[in-house]
Amino acid sequence: MILAVLFANSVGNVLIERFNGVPAEERLHWRSFLVKLGADNLKGVKNEELLVACHKSVYIVYTMLGDVSIFLVGKDEYDELALAETIYIITAAVKDVCGKPPTERVFLDKYGRICLCLDEIVWNGLLENTDKDRIKRLIRLKPPSEV
Amino acid sequence: MAESSGTTLMDLISADPTPVPAQSTSSSASSTASQPSPASASAASHLNHPMSTKTTLGEKKSKRATLMQIQNDTISVAKAALNPVKANIMPQRQRQKKKPVSYSQLARSIHELAATLDQQKSSQKQLVNHVFPKLAVYNSVDPSLAPSLLMLNQQCEDRNVLRYVYYYLARILSDTGMTPGGGIPTPNWDALADIDAGGGVTRADVVPRIVNQLTTEATNSEFEFHARRLQALKALTYSPSGNSELLSKLYEIVFGILEKVGDVPHKRKKGVFGTKGGDKESIMRSNLQYAAMSALRRLPLDPGNPLFLHRAAQGVFFADPVAVRHSLEILSELATRDPYSVAMTLEKLASPAGALQDILHMNDVLARVSLARLCHSISRARALDERPDIRSQFNSILYQLLLDPSERVCYEAILCILGKYDNTERHEMDERAAGWYRLTREILKLPEAPSLSSKDKSHKTKRPQPLIKLVMRRLESSFRSFSRPVLHAAARVVQEMGKSRAAAFAMGLQDIDESVHVNAFSDALDDAETNESSHPEGIRRTSSISAGPGRNDTIASLLAALMEVVRTTVACECVYVRAMVIKALIWMQSPDESLDELKSIIASELSDPGWPAALVNDVLLTLHARFKATPDMAVILLEIARIFATKVPGKIDADVLQLLWKTCLVGAGPDGKHTALEAVTIVLDLPPPQPGSMAGLTSIDRVSASDPKSALALQKLVQAAVWFLGENANYAASEYAWESATPPGTALMMLDADKMVAAASSRNPTLAGALTRLQRCAFSGSWEVRIVAIQALTTIAIRSGEPFRLQIYEFLYTLAEGGVQSQLSEMHLSNGEDQGASGTGLGVLITPMLKVLDEMYVGQDELIKDIRHHDNANKEWKDEELKKLYENHERLLDFVSMFCYIPRAKYLPLGPISAKLIDIYRTKHNITASTGSTDPAVVATGISDLIYESTQPAPAASNSSGLDDDLVNAWAANLGDDGLLGNNAPAMSRVNEFLSGVGTDAPDVEEENVFSRPSVGYDDMWAKTLLETSELEEEDARSGSSSPDSTGSVESSISSHFGGMNYPSLFSSKPSSQATAKSGGSKYQSTYEGYGSPIREEPPPPYSYSEPQSRESFENPVAGSGSRSYESDDEEPRKSTGTRFGTALYDFTAGGDDELNLTAEEELEIEYEVDGWFYVKKKRPGRDGKMAGLVPVLYVNQS
Repeated sequence: MILAVLFANSVGNVLIERFNGVPAEERLHWRSFLVKLGADNLKGVKNEELLVACHKSVYIVYTMLGDVSIFLVGKDEYDELALAETIYIITAAVKDVCGKPPTERVFLDKYGRICLCLDEIVWNGLLENTDKDRIKRLIRLKPPSEV
Repeated sequence: MAESSGTTLMDLISADPTPVPAQSTSSSASSTASQPSPASASAASHLNHPMSTKTTLGEKKSKRATLMQIQNDTISVAKAALNPVKANIMPQRQRQKKKPVSYSQLARSIHELAATLDQQKSSQKQLVNHVFPKLAVYNSVDPSLAPSLLMLNQQCEDRNVLRYVYYYLARILSDTGMTPGGGIPTPNWDALADIDAGGGVTRADVVPRIVNQLTTEATNSEFEFHARRLQALKALTYSPSGNSELLSKLYEIVFGILEKVGDVPHKRKKGVFGTKGGDKESIMRSNLQYAAMSALRRLPLDPGNPLFLHRAAQGVFFADPVAVRHSLEILSELATRDPYSVAMTLEKLASPAGALQDILHMNDVLARVSLARLCHSISRARALDERPDIRSQFNSILYQLLLDPSERVCYEAILCILGKYDNTERHEMDERAAGWYRLTREILKLPEAPSLSSKDKSHKTKRPQPLIKLVMRRLESSFRSFSRPVLHAAARVVQEMGKSRAAAFAMGLQDIDESVHVNAFSDALDDAETNESSHPEGIRRTSSISAGPGRNDTIASLLAALMEVVRTTVACECVYVRAMVIKALIWMQSPDESLDELKSIIASELSDPGWPAALVNDVLLTLHARFKATPDMAVILLEIARIFATKVPGKIDADVLQLLWKTCLVGAGPDGKHTALEAVTIVLDLPPPQPGSMAGLTSIDRVSASDPKSALALQKLVQAAVWFLGENANYAASEYAWESATPPGTALMMLDADKMVAAASSRNPTLAGALTRLQRCAFSGSWEVRIVAIQALTTIAIRSGEPFRLQIYEFLYTLAEGGVQSQLSEMHLSNGEDQGASGTGLGVLITPMLKVLDEMYVGQDELIKDIRHHDNANKEWKDEELKKLYENHERLLDFVSMFCYIPRAKYLPLGPISAKLIDIYRTKHNITASTGSTDPAVVATGISDLIYESTQPAPAASNSSGLDDDLVNAWAANLGDDGLLGNNAPAMSRVNEFLSGVGTDAPDVEEENVFSRPSVGYDDMWAKTLLETSELEEEDARSGSSSPDSTGSVESSISSHFGGMNYPSLFSSKPSSQATAKSGGSKYQSTYEGYGSPIREEPPPPYSYSEPQSRESFENPVAGSGSRSYESDDEEPRKSTGTRFGTALYDFTAGGDDELNLTAEEELEIEYEVDGWFYVKKKRPGRDGKMAGLVPVLYVNQS
């Protein structure tokens, strides 16, 4: 289960978050834990360099993309490596939508599209589509494979 | 879009979405426009705080205003929207696009655009480019938008618009009103709608409509429509799973689709992905397959349903890779519950040419991960014992996955082989051990020909490889990676390997049937294995080298090489990776290896301030788990724990540490207990921290508590250690007053302190050592430590027999007295200042303790006097006398119970001699020892109840009568206090959670505490501090309690309860002293099986004094006993007058002053017998001049 996908800006504002199977009262803890994790560790990290953390049996993989930091929390089959795959797909999609590692401005401009992409990549806490073209088609309401 | 300026979320929202301004005529709209958008203002202020969705007190007001605003807007809009067509034609429907775009304006735009969609093409553009993307920025979607969205859904043709519509519909469906999605916070729409009692639109209103429409779309079978069908189905899966009606509808739709498209007539074409080839028909089929399978994956599993299984299994053949992945995921989950039917369904697919083999080459990592799990479940299933062919097929696939290019898949395969995923907790050890066995012995043979699955000796061209080599090579290369996730995962795999290895050692590998797996390679590996486990390395290695066909690698050397690489990974800059590496090292550490390297690694690691506390405690819990797997390692682990205690005292949880101590002590077995206790006490021997000294950073014997905070924490730990010592020294030393090996009379013979200490230490070095340490702490620690030390000493005094009790009594007495004297004599020196009650500061504390001991001794003296009196006068004991005695006994029990736990049924505050009299009284009055006791620890049902989750029944209150009210109150206050502060997670449940791998609990972030517990208001906090201080003040009154919570610290009070509560398990009600040794073992067993399981105090037998005494009473019928029942019993054993004679069987050398040297054949007069000793008199004095003394019973032949 991918417990959480969270995008934050450089000062720790949550831009997008999607929690799955996390009780409402724990979300706040996660949110602040992740933001703190990012504040502590993401300084001077290269774009898309993957960082890892864990809490009990829950894994966290996070990275920086332009001005935006992306956090993924998962457990069970979504361990560090699976999350690394997922975050790779997400960053690729974001870059695709924004054309480059986004500034916060660009990210916000493309907010809607990014939400749609995310919707196609992580669906109810499970990784769904991994292929870039396929995601592109799906967010334009085209079938995954076409004639 | 691109030209919009600004840098924040709010700029985006407030930017004018369209250059077409329209004059607003509606009053509500103008009010929105004229105000500088309070909604956005408040949202912006939120965003300026790091925690954007948190409402703080200061913002409440503006928030409220915002809510009202939004409410007004949305309600009016929603009202309009309920009659969309009408609103459409209304004259005031011009788009109200003013400068700032608030949520309500966006909402309005949607309603408007939905209405005008058919008239203007541009409105679609606007929706896609402006309205929808901006709406996404808000946390959640207002249900009142649903009607417009549904209308758009029906009427709009534009794919982009529709895609957004599906997205928002799904959000409304999934929204419970409280699930924020990041971005700008929105109010709870449902609550808002409720405020407006009239016409608010709630989710409950719109969800059925949405579901209906989406269901219709999902069943529409037109080709042109099928892309929308996919999205409709997808949106439907977002609806909350609680609705069973909706659920069955969804199953129906999914199965309906799969029925039409699920059967795959042709074999799957590889590389069908995206736009490649295929006719319209098959493309649509594939897309629908994908949609259905994805939806099925999101639906709850239906294990018993053959149709469900069938549909899931069909998915393996689907053309769409994602569908195949989902199908495998479903199957692997089903296989954990019902491996047999899954295996039967997939039987054909697993064969060397089957579909599952194709998946090995599929370009989807998670699909292969699921395949590994599936294969593991089936190949280990007991239900398939009679189908070894199937199992071996799946096993072979699993082994092949070890070669997978993706680390994720390879690691998964390794973990499966190691037996990590075994659903039955019970067999975990077996599975693990077997897993290690498999990993070290088995070999991978790639299936060459798809003809036969003949596993044996079929390796031809490709050389078969031992699994262990593959794994090691893979891991080693992973550790050279630069990717942190890879390093972390690799370390985790090594840790799991260590777990399985430990399990294998614990089970004893010989027990595993070796004949099954023996093959050409395993001989060599066998040697390696035994080599590694027990035999000295050098001898066996040579033989295994010669035995191995061309390979000179043993498992030991492979492991050594791996661990070398693992150790170097400690250099990784990520602290989480390093923690995982350390955990791996702890698990791979075996009892007979040198510990130094690990110790120094940990010591230097911990000097890094970057370690978060949670991580440190995690490692401590790992130590705990490690110990459970290999109890032999108790001492090693305690050593490591000590490093933590001294290096980072501020970060570790005293609870966790105490738990570790306790488990190690209990589990160490009779021999290890002394060492285990020693390891704990080492904490006390450490030199006090030296502020500012950085020299000892890497030395593990130096305390590094340079800042005040950690110095304080260290103090707490020392306190915990002292308390622990007091609570458990008796257990470790197997010395209990009620099971004492010391003859009762002995103490009276040795009032000389020096001799006493000598005798004590010769009799029981463990306890003597503990006493010495505690005495030192009572003198030299800080005042908190001293208090705990005194309490600990009292506990030991109460629990142990002589001479320990007397020794402690003397010590306490001196402490109190000496204090008074020095106070008097130094009064003039210290300019009148009272240095905290006589220099030790403990006078007040010691007094009640001394009083209890005094009372006990006085009671004993009086009893002896009474007995003599009765003896001399040859009187019977009257009932009143017995009653008095019994009441005195109970009263003392009550007193003593205030200080520490004692088994009331067995404890004799009046000394062993009182046992018989009390028993007589009990029998006569039908008082069973257990009902007579109201000790809370006995009354309560089990450990789990006792650990401060439930507030204990106030024990003092139930003890009633003999207690003074102040003490009762103090105790009750203490407990109430615990209830208040008890929101800390109990260490016990944390361990259990840790072991069972529960991990969803949100991490604690310190800064968040104020926010995170909104229920703790200022008043509560004030009350808390009030209670804490009052508790401090009450300390003296309450001084009887054996807990160290005198400092008012939450940790220590909790731990005291924890420890105290746990204690009953350390006592067994078995009457004889031999039972203690055994009970140690059985206790270990129980802790092993499940730490939290309630261990009940067995109802103690009514007769619980020790064997020899009762025998004595039979053998020595009292002279002139008319009424046998009373006369015989009121006789004290040692007062028995029936003299017997005997001869010494062997030479015996006296071990103490009270003992007597014997020469074989010497003739003796036996005075009495006590606890396996005879008090004998010789006919003539021996060489040492002594005439009488104690000799062991077995040395005397009674004539």
